[in-house]
Amino acid sequence: MGKAKMNAARMGSGGPEVVAPEQLLDLMGPHIDSFDYFVNRGLQSAVQNMQSVEVVHPVSNVNLRMWLDKPVVNRPMKDQKDGALSLDQRLLPTECRMGGLSYRGSLTADLCLQYASGNVVRNSMSFGRMPIMVKSSLCHLRGLDGRKMVANKEEAMEMGGYFICNGIERIIRLLIIPKRNLVVGVKRATFKNRGSAYSDKAVMIRCVKHDQSAVTLRMYYLNTGGSNLGFSLRKQEFLIPVGLIIKALVDTSDREIYEQLISVQSGYDKSTKGVVGSQFVSQRARIILEDVQRLNLFTRIQCLQYIGERFKHLLDVPASYSSAKVGEKVLEDYILVNLDNPRDKFNMLIFMLHKLFALADGLASPDNADALQHHEILLPGHLLTIFVKERMQEWLYRVKALLVKEIEDKPAFNLQDSTQVQKILEKVPASDVSKKVEYLLNTGNLVTQSGLDLQQSTGFTLVAEKLNFLRYISHFRSVHRGAFFATLRTTLVRKLLPESWGFMCPVHTPDGSPCGLLNHLTAACLISTDLDARGLVRQPLKIRKAVTSELVSVGMLPSVLSMARVAPPDFLTVHLDGRIIGHMRTLDIPPAVAHLRHCKVAKIADIPSDLEVAYVPCTSAGAYPGLFLFSTPGRMLRPVKCLSPQDKGALELIGPYEQAYMEIKCPDGTDGGTTGISSYATHEETHALAMLSVVASLTPWSDHNQSPRNMYQCQMGKQTMGTPCQALQFRADNKLYRIQSPQTPVARTENWAKFNVDQFPTGTNAIVAVLAYTGYDMEDAMILNKSAVERGMFHGQIYKTETIDLTRMRRKGDGIVNVFARSDAAGGPKRGAPPVQNSNFVDTDGLPYIGQTLVENNPYCSVLNTVTGNAKMSKLKGGDRAVVDFVAAVGTGPKEPMQKVSIRMRYGRNPVIGDKFSSRHGQKGVLSQQWPDIDMPFSAVTGMRPDLIINPHAFPSRMTIGMLLESMAAKVGILKGEFINATPFQKCAADSKSSHKNKDESLVDKYGKQLKEYGFNYHGTEVMYSGVLGTELTCEIYIGCVYYQRLRHMVGDKYQVRSTGAVNPVTRQPVKGRKFGGGIRFGEMERDSLLAHGAAYLLHDRLHTCSDYHTADICVRCGSLLSTTPVIQQKSSAAFAMGLGSSKESKVICRVCNSSRDIELVAMPYVFRYLASELAAMNIKLTLTIGNG
Amino acid sequence: MDTVTSYTRFPTVRIRELKDDYIKFELKDTDPSIANALRRIMIAEVPTLAIDLVEIETNSSVLNDEFLSHRLGLIPLKSERAMEMRLSRDCDACDGDGSCMYCSVEFTLNVKCTSDQTLDVTSHDLISSDPSVVPVDNNLAQDINGFDAPEARGILIVKLRRGQELKLRAIARKGIGKDHAKWSPAATVAFQFEPEIHINEALMESLSLEEKKEWVDSCPTKVFEVDPQTQQVVVVDAEAYTYDEEILKKAEAMGKTGLVDIISRDDSFIFTVESTGAIQASQMFINAIEILKTKLDAVRLSFDTEEADDQFGELGAHMRGGGM
Repeated sequence: MGKAKMNAARMGSGGPEVVAPEQLLDLMGPHIDSFDYFVNRGLQSAVQNMQSVEVVHPVSNVNLRMWLDKPVVNRPMKDQKDGALSLDQRLLPTECRMGGLSYRGSLTADLCLQYASGNVVRNSMSFGRMPIMVKSSLCHLRGLDGRKMVANKEEAMEMGGYFICNGIERIIRLLIIPKRNLVVGVKRATFKNRGSAYSDKAVMIRCVKHDQSAVTLRMYYLNTGGSNLGFSLRKQEFLIPVGLIIKALVDTSDREIYEQLISVQSGYDKSTKGVVGSQFVSQRARIILEDVQRLNLFTRIQCLQYIGERFKHLLDVPASYSSAKVGEKVLEDYILVNLDNPRDKFNMLIFMLHKLFALADGLASPDNADALQHHEILLPGHLLTIFVKERMQEWLYRVKALLVKEIEDKPAFNLQDSTQVQKILEKVPASDVSKKVEYLLNTGNLVTQSGLDLQQSTGFTLVAEKLNFLRYISHFRSVHRGAFFATLRTTLVRKLLPESWGFMCPVHTPDGSPCGLLNHLTAACLISTDLDARGLVRQPLKIRKAVTSELVSVGMLPSVLSMARVAPPDFLTVHLDGRIIGHMRTLDIPPAVAHLRHCKVAKIADIPSDLEVAYVPCTSAGAYPGLFLFSTPGRMLRPVKCLSPQDKGALELIGPYEQAYMEIKCPDGTDGGTTGISSYATHEETHALAMLSVVASLTPWSDHNQSPRNMYQCQMGKQTMGTPCQALQFRADNKLYRIQSPQTPVARTENWAKFNVDQFPTGTNAIVAVLAYTGYDMEDAMILNKSAVERGMFHGQIYKTETIDLTRMRRKGDGIVNVFARSDAAGGPKRGAPPVQNSNFVDTDGLPYIGQTLVENNPYCSVLNTVTGNAKMSKLKGGDRAVVDFVAAVGTGPKEPMQKVSIRMRYGRNPVIGDKFSSRHGQKGVLSQQWPDIDMPFSAVTGMRPDLIINPHAFPSRMTIGMLLESMAAKVGILKGEFINATPFQKCAADSKSSHKNKDESLVDKYGKQLKEYGFNYHGTEVMYSGVLGTELTCEIYIGCVYYQRLRHMVGDKYQVRSTGAVNPVTRQPVKGRKFGGGIRFGEMERDSLLAHGAAYLLHDRLHTCSDYHTADICVRCGSLLSTTPVIQQKSSAAFAMGLGSSKESKVICRVCNSSRDIELVAMPYVFRYLASELAAMNIKLTLTIGNG
Repeated sequence: MDTVTSYTRFPTVRIRELKDDYIKFELKDTDPSIANALRRIMIAEVPTLAIDLVEIETNSSVLNDEFLSHRLGLIPLKSERAMEMRLSRDCDACDGDGSCMYCSVEFTLNVKCTSDQTLDVTSHDLISSDPSVVPVDNNLAQDINGFDAPEARGILIVKLRRGQELKLRAIARKGIGKDHAKWSPAATVAFQFEPEIHINEALMESLSLEEKKEWVDSCPTKVFEVDPQTQQVVVVDAEAYTYDEEILKKAEAMGKTGLVDIISRDDSFIFTVESTGAIQASQMFINAIEILKTKLDAVRLSFDTEEADDQFGELGAHMRGGGM
């Protein structure tokens, strides 16, 4: 693979250290490489493509032009005040994580000012601090070897690819977007809403410029036979007759346009393969031309002016621009922006019309816009590039607006005075640019005026949770279809289409709402960047020249020669990145494709090795034919083996678009059911695992499981408590789960070693017996051997970090009032201060002792207010016992007192009843008992007692045969002392010579034989004796070794219990929520079931006595519940006068009847009283009738 | 009644194999219940010593305190004294802090790594206050090359790198496996019913040599053999038979049902006992019988008097549910 060199750069020239293997780094590749593009080249090209602004002083007529140039992002450095004395000014990722800081480097650019056509004045501007991706080319960790990584308090295998925002690791998620520069024909009913003449057919193309900014151009078919072009400007769609644009593009005659348009109208029968033109084409061509004539536009200039007049007020162009110039600007910026030559645009529009007509006549089928074939990936670096470009442009516009306003308001303002201009510049904070990027990263919300040609404005980022390695790695490989599709009712977009084969994992998608929308790239899938295989920046022009010359040598007619009548089915157009580079005789194309592929593999000339060569052949009413070549970044790629004689065995990178038109066979040696046609195959899959994602490829023998079980395992594997990281000591994550003695599985797939999963193991090899024992293993419950647990099985901890920041308590302007200290610190306790009782827990510096055990309400941190002398203690919440694991002072300079600390607590989480466990086959279960070792069944031969018992009923309906195989094979592995290769689809791997001999032997036979050799039963069963009775169990027990995972769902975090507790202040009913000590809702259905049982007393107890029991005084006379009030009456004034106490008596009166007679005390739910008051507020009186009924 | 005496049996034990940590013996003339009771007691109720309380003074190793304490607890200690010692909760000579000779043994560990090489802290670094209670050291054999054999290096507790230090005081106490697996002296205790194998010679003769071999090979454990001289099937190792019924199934498949008759004797047991090293395997068995006897005594006596319960102290606790 050509990426070796780039990875070598990323890895550094380390020794024989623990380094992330190349395969792992490839997984992060799309993130890091695209960010490198952003900082090294993308910003530059974005700035170059930005619109310069012009301000003209109306009086002095001074003309000031401003633009930006030379953007530079710097490496992350510490704030000057942070570490004035420290020698090392570098800001390292670990400091950001521990301190809750952001890993940022300053972004600067030159603001160029030019008066009229005078000298250019350059002003270096700071645009704030831009978040930097870890391990990108600007990261301090780039190129460090494992040892140096560890020295920098990082993982030895740190892979990067994420940003650090306020101490949290966040990544920009990969998004699926329409493939760039590809004309797609679609049929959508919503197109009809655009107007009465609109049909449901259109072709569209997402055009992407060199700086990654995109404009989607749509060409609608009108029922009149004409066509309109549509593009969005400021989130609004503008529709223009296509003839107008065509005429405005080049100086041409109606004759030429007409000839070009009808070139597809050949004399063939409609049924001939590849015919795309019908007899209607000439009529339509006429209509298109007439549309323009009707507007009285005849020349190019007229057309340009017409367009310019209509767009002048919409675009930010200098007032000096003429209408024609504005028209040109529109064509340049919104019509086919991937092309810069108007002639190319003209050719492309003609091609689009051909395709549109073919679509309208049913001679070409619409393309499936949901198929991966027509998709590419929006890379993080590309998103940042277009986003920053827009922000910078926006800043320029704001500067301009302010200058104009200043000139209007103050005629004395001198535009030529640079200090005055500078003052205005300062009013528009340039650092907003970086702040907006940070906001994007922190929230995932994209704030933009133009929409950036993206379909969504939220959900761009996610947190890279370090729960375990599988979850972590999956974040980087996940690809979202787009937030818009999640709202769709239809499930069509979620469907797994054959086009996704080899690029998207069919197994690894969550079930539930994001099912099918959140996919994962296969382990082998790469994404093309703007670097070629040698790590050099691609030169589009060079590529074009090379491809053109190679194709011309095999018979292509270059498009420079304008020729009529070169159209399907005799001739097909050749496209390169959305540009028509020529035409080719249909018969010449297959050999030309083979030649191009050879050039790709053999690296001939400047043909890129990842060039996508898609030959869409002529079909009757199929996809529109042509030869489509792509060399742009953002395409998915995967390696397949070539079978052609000259490149036999070489790996070729192919894309999803060309894949649909290629013949790739499976390496299982069979013809795959295509008898006779198999000789067609030009390529072969590299490995059966190539279709799976990293996580899915770790399931042993997943080919023996029912498919949804493998899906479940992909999810559960990501919820497993495992080894989150090795640099645990230097992390301040909110919550980290960790198991104490993890093991490597005995039965594992090839990818386990390939991706170094052993560095972060997630489970334990458990001796599992499958039997119904004690009844505590019913319904997916499982029994653990108590002694096994006591010996350390599944022991684990949770680490929680709390950051206490005193600067937040500080009001602006105040000095430092609060410090970390115990109340008796600094010269002994104050006089009269209570004796310190917390010295057992908190040291004089106000921080806890490391290793101190804390229980609920124990203090662990003391903050002293130096003014009042009061100390505020932070106390441990929750009933769990915690141990202080680590205390770090954060971001403390040499002069400042400590203001921020992070304290990490460790909570022991050994298995308890109710915790969740799972094998690697989607078989989850809840621990129901820890059964004593002596009561467990034992094997007579070995004396073994199982660690874990599961019920046999877990198997028949779920059909997880893989688990049974694993049990048996791992047993063999243990006996032999070898790891077992449990890679799925091993039989399909033709090149595996080891298992060649007994290809037809089943796995059961293979491992059964070996078991027998070791004196065990062939079928993996053993005779067992009851541990309680000492008698033989009536049947033989299937017992073996299965790798079990402990899932993060633990009762310790979930149990909810309440007798009495907090109540809602309004209704006086119990509150909900575990956090508040609340209850679980006893709802309608629960009430019904008690009623049905006739348990009236219980019902009354639950819903009334234990809830909002209340007694209210009711006036029987008026029936009012609210008018009664207790009043305090003096018994007699005489007694009061004599000074006798306790003469007061409380009495209830009805304020309406003004009497204290007929008042009754009635028990009722408090909410009833509340209801009465609410009704009263609405002027509704609630009257109760009281009687002894 | 006379008939009762006829039930009285006199179990016998015949030792087949005896090593420090391994014993194999036959137990004859008794019931499965007795055999299983002995197995259960050996695993769960023969007392040993294990580290139960750890006071950590310094721990800058990579393992946290709980992890380390747990590892220390699992180190088997030589526990010959355990039977005479007291459980710390029943000890009246001390106030339960574990500092008395009757119920506890103190260990100290004080290691610091000062070299660039990783330092392995092993059970050898644990210094005991009682020379008779030390971590189990199964193999003192030195490798010929002068390097320590892996076993001779002791049980690994933690690895330290330069500058890391571990200093702690640990107290070992008496306990039983029922309370925590660390107190279990048994690695494995298994018994099986002795099989009695009768070959139907007449039917066997109807088999050809090939068939005999095939039949013999069908048994995963080598119970039978074809005598190369006489070409007759003989039982070579009846006890290797695991009751897996493979050969019965094979005979049935060959159409020779009743080729062999296997009876499991429910009054004769073959025990295999492996010890962790805390107590000698043989001693473990003797202690188990001792405990079983006292338990039975307690049951018998408690019928007569209420006070008997208290009289047996620790045993009373056993009976009331192991004093959990």
